[in-house]
Amino acid sequence: MPKLKLEMDVNGKRVSRSTAPHTRLLDFLRDDLNLTGTKEGCGAGECGTCSVFVDGKLVKSCLMPAAKANGAKVETIEGLAIPGDLTPVQKAFHKTGASQCGYCIPGMVMAATSALRENPSAGIEEIKERLGGNICRCTGYTKIFEAVELARDVIAGDLPVTALEEDAVGDSYIGTNVRRLDAPSKVSGRLKYAADMKMYDMLQVQILRSPHAHARIVSIDTSAAEAMEGVECVITAADVPGKDGYGVFVHDQPTLATGKVRYVGEAVAAVAAEDLLTARRAVAAIKVEYEELPGVYFAQDAQKQGAPIIHDYAPDNLVKHIPVRKGDVAAGFAAADLILEDDFSTQQVEHAYLEPEAGIAYVDPDDVVVVISPSQNISHHRHMLAEIIDKPINKVRFIMSPVGGGFGGKEDMIYQGILAICAMKTHRPVQLNFTREESILASAKRHPSKVHYKMGLTNDGRITAIEFSMLSDGGAYGMSSEGVMRKAAILSCGPYEVHNLKVDTTAVYTNNTPSGAFRTFGGMQAQFATESMMDMAAEALGMDPFAIRRVNMMKIGSKTHTQQELKTASLDRCLDAAEQSCRWEAGPPNVRGQVRGDMGGPDTRKPCTLGARFEGTDLEPDGTEKVA
Amino acid sequence: MMDRKLKGRGIAACWYGIARTATIDRAGAWAEIDDGGTGKVVTGVTEIGEGILTVLAQVAAEEMGIRPDDVTIGDNDTARAPEAAHAGATRQTYMIGNSVALASREARNVLFAELADHWAVEVDTLKAFDGELWAVGTNLKITMSEAVAICKARGVVPVGSASFTAHGTGLDPVDGSGAPWQAYVFGTQVAEVEVDTYTGEVQVLGIWAAHDVGRAINPRGVEGQIEGGVVQGLGQALMEDYQTDKGHTTTHGFAKYILPTSLDIPQINCSIVEDPDPLTPLRAKGIGEPSLVPTAPAIMNAIYDAIGVRIKSLPATPEKIMQALRDREAAKQTEVA
Amino acid sequence: MLTCDTYHMPTSLHDALALWAAAPQGSKLISGGTDILPWAREGREGDVHLPALIDVTRIPELGGHVISNGRVRLGARTVYQDFLTQGTLRLALPCMPYCAIWFADDQIREQATLAGNLVNASPVGDGTPAVVALNGEIELARLVDDEIVRRVVPVIDFIEGPGRTQIADDEIATAVILDAANGYGGSFQKVGLRRSLVISVACCAALVRTDRDGRVFEHVRLALGGVGPRPIRLERVEAALRGELVSRRLIKQVSELAADTVASRSRQEYRREVVVNFVRAALEEALENQPDVQVKFQDEGEMANA
Repeated sequence: MPKLKLEMDVNGKRVSRSTAPHTRLLDFLRDDLNLTGTKEGCGAGECGTCSVFVDGKLVKSCLMPAAKANGAKVETIEGLAIPGDLTPVQKAFHKTGASQCGYCIPGMVMAATSALRENPSAGIEEIKERLGGNICRCTGYTKIFEAVELARDVIAGDLPVTALEEDAVGDSYIGTNVRRLDAPSKVSGRLKYAADMKMYDMLQVQILRSPHAHARIVSIDTSAAEAMEGVECVITAADVPGKDGYGVFVHDQPTLATGKVRYVGEAVAAVAAEDLLTARRAVAAIKVEYEELPGVYFAQDAQKQGAPIIHDYAPDNLVKHIPVRKGDVAAGFAAADLILEDDFSTQQVEHAYLEPEAGIAYVDPDDVVVVISPSQNISHHRHMLAEIIDKPINKVRFIMSPVGGGFGGKEDMIYQGILAICAMKTHRPVQLNFTREESILASAKRHPSKVHYKMGLTNDGRITAIEFSMLSDGGAYGMSSEGVMRKAAILSCGPYEVHNLKVDTTAVYTNNTPSGAFRTFGGMQAQFATESMMDMAAEALGMDPFAIRRVNMMKIGSKTHTQQELKTASLDRCLDAAEQSCRWEAGPPNVRGQVRGDMGGPDTRKPCTLGARFEGTDLEPDGTEKVA
Repeated sequence: MMDRKLKGRGIAACWYGIARTATIDRAGAWAEIDDGGTGKVVTGVTEIGEGILTVLAQVAAEEMGIRPDDVTIGDNDTARAPEAAHAGATRQTYMIGNSVALASREARNVLFAELADHWAVEVDTLKAFDGELWAVGTNLKITMSEAVAICKARGVVPVGSASFTAHGTGLDPVDGSGAPWQAYVFGTQVAEVEVDTYTGEVQVLGIWAAHDVGRAINPRGVEGQIEGGVVQGLGQALMEDYQTDKGHTTTHGFAKYILPTSLDIPQINCSIVEDPDPLTPLRAKGIGEPSLVPTAPAIMNAIYDAIGVRIKSLPATPEKIMQALRDREAAKQTEVA
Repeated sequence: MLTCDTYHMPTSLHDALALWAAAPQGSKLISGGTDILPWAREGREGDVHLPALIDVTRIPELGGHVISNGRVRLGARTVYQDFLTQGTLRLALPCMPYCAIWFADDQIREQATLAGNLVNASPVGDGTPAVVALNGEIELARLVDDEIVRRVVPVIDFIEGPGRTQIADDEIATAVILDAANGYGGSFQKVGLRRSLVISVACCAALVRTDRDGRVFEHVRLALGGVGPRPIRLERVEAALRGELVSRRLIKQVSELAADTVASRSRQEYRREVVVNFVRAALEEALENQPDVQVKFQDEGEMANA
């Protein structure tokens, strides 16, 4: 195809390049100009990590064909300050702790810079509005807002420049707000994540994923793909040298689908080629014949008589069941004045780290297979990969690249084996960058839950018995289901002394997207039910919700649900602190919203009504003059 | 006539265990007090944005008597760093923090032994902080840079190492009894919401979060974890929903899978509670996961306070809320009838 | 992933039309790019290869806007951000700022064109009801014997269904023409799961003008989006209000008329309820937003116990 010749001013430098006609401005910056500070978090304009200035306007470069910027003045994160220096906005981000994983941060710094350029005296509501196109998954935005307000005030001269410097230390570095070590590299866009790394002679890998939830693989014909110019290797399960199987708890997941596929999105084959487009086209040319199988799509069907078997080793589709028993629940319920029984459910949740999965692998001169990826557990990954590629452990090396968010979603080794085998087959460095859609499709989710809860209490609010059962859809592979069920079971009945309890947590296999590790590991699903029940009980008994929790709370010397004696306990202090800091008005939770007097305080925000940028001006949104 | 927008408040409490569940946990670290009075720490640390690198720099600096800025932390590389296991289970501050503290302490002890001998003072009189080393009750005071030079001139490199263990036991297969963790944390959150009865939309206006972290090594970092956890909890409570239909996802991208934006978040008020861990040198515990646990039930309890409907299935979308309001109206009519 | 063989950036309407007429089968026009790039991705259309992309945003005559004879002519390059930043447009199109502030985010507003959105005809396109409330028309141009020939189609007719419009194979949209509604009160209601980057479940645009005393409805325009395959103009509701005294009771009453317009197949119950509430809120807010008029509700204070 004919190339496009583009000329533009990027960060004050004239550049001139030939590129493919469909190149997006994002690709032009990252690939053609090696300016990798601008990220591709989603490629669909939904996350803001690709934000750059074009002729002074902040735009999303993943939605802009590079041709549109021909002749324009482009400013990226790298252009805000010279290397080694930082703008006031960047310094403010450093000062307030606004950067965590850092992946959203270049885009966020650009949005903040834009906001203050558009309105140097923007108030907090307008700042929020102007940052509305940038998603952050780590920080909860709070310290980002603080940074923008701090920068605004320093730039305006309302605060001294020293406000951006480190606080002086007292007599200890423990308990001090030392600024984050890694913030400067993140706010400047200089830190390289796996997708930003380039190695000489590197190939691009793309994965063929199953379109079926449950199907036998009848045949795979890779010949057309292999014959394509620019394709260096095509791999399937047949190319796995050692004993396949990985997983955080049970090694039930193959590097590439073996014999059958168990969920939509499962990796079936992979291509390594000279460039991304060739790799994608080669993947499309791989012909797989499937024989579709009946599948299981609901957790409650997984253990029914005659349900399709998903893993031969688990004919009842059970991943794990954890029981906890204490005391005598029958006696406990018999002694109760009030018995509540209800059902709760939570959904599958996507980790949505801003950095999609990515990685590089190569074989070094000492024949060590090296994998660079943002893995949350490189020790375990190395252990498993060594067996999978049949190498001694010290001939396998995992290097953790900077992680652009994890939350448990980067614990599973869902692509590193593929990279390693491609590297071993081609003896060239290979890189794989997931699209956002691929990341959502292929990676594990938070376990959904269905909880049936029965709680007995006496009239003074004391819990006499709890029966708790939770069923979770573990999806196609075991991943962290065992651990999640265990943690959910242990924490289930909440931070309360319960003398009689019967707890069962169960995870089953289905042909849905696998559930895996996700921040709280079953803890939030279980306690969502418990804390809802506690309020329902409080209402029924006419008790304040803090009061009922105090009646039951664990204390020093309490026995936990697994009969461990607590040597320390602090729920009392946490309840007190929360109650006082929010100025809680006591009363039972019987729909007091209309009558209580503790709301709307200075420690709340106003509801968002949009249009904040028009406040503080003389004109209404519709351009008419404001009436005094 | 009901106001269009109704507010309410709700609370939820929580507890959580620190480090790996129902098993023994482990983390190794190496430390060196280096030329120029700087420090080098190498451990299998997995920084995923939670701020562990900075915490470790503070811990090492405190033990070594230098500044956090002076500490270099090596990359996490199976061929270069001792194993410290994974990022998860709210374990890194506890496991790796303590391991680094002990390794740094050992390096410092090596240095102190040399300096004590060099100065002919009792080793107990030596103190180091913020880049300086001195002997209490004397005029002897030098920079850490000078101290390292002296130590090395004596042929000793001040290095240390440590392996830190947390003792969790397995659970009994029948009744689950056991001691899965040696440290627990507790927390409470209060949510204040506004519900739009025209549309079912919920805005969270305030969250008050009180969490026990044992000891806050970096309070601002702790707040950052609480704020991040709260917003993830809010997302799950109100808008996030990964859906599949016969195994095929219908939420393929961020246009369909809805995440909280800057315009959706409450004012988050953090109270850091410190109930020190008696079993460890640092006395710190953790915060990464606990901060996410109580948010969704606090918000559901607040919605109930506002409009008298209890959502028991997450997320509490505008549609579910309108449906619940309609059901409640219908139930009222039947009662009245 | 979107790929193409050639990317054209014509600098005159004539060149663009000639290129478009000659373009190989499968080629597409591209305006802001904010619809087509997310479309060519997994989960939607997947990898798409087009012979040619013809970019219409470098054509000078498609830029800017002209207000004359009570009509506002927006060149096809007009982007959503313009409705927030251009003072004359804010005044002339009082519901557009409220629509625009709800639209995506600042970055996308700089890139997304109103005309491009209308031609894309997504059923959840926010701009559509606002344009319909402003009696919007879309101007389309094509070449006939090498001469530029234009025609104008009311937007409410132009959009035939999700992704389907009356645009002919050889036409390019050149302008969107709207009523100049200076002095009206405008409002825009939208519901979504969050407050930014929201794809709405339903939305409503309103324009209202009362007499100078603020007692009688003189002009009312209401349009709904997202509740069916096409945007809906609430003519019955408008008629029921015209000439009537302004009262909260009347507003509540006529809002119920909107319920029957909800034809969408999915989530019908919810949309119905929201739509009725929206119409009510849109009318009340538009009344309040009227410049230079103090609205007097006939039954102010009475509705407290209704």
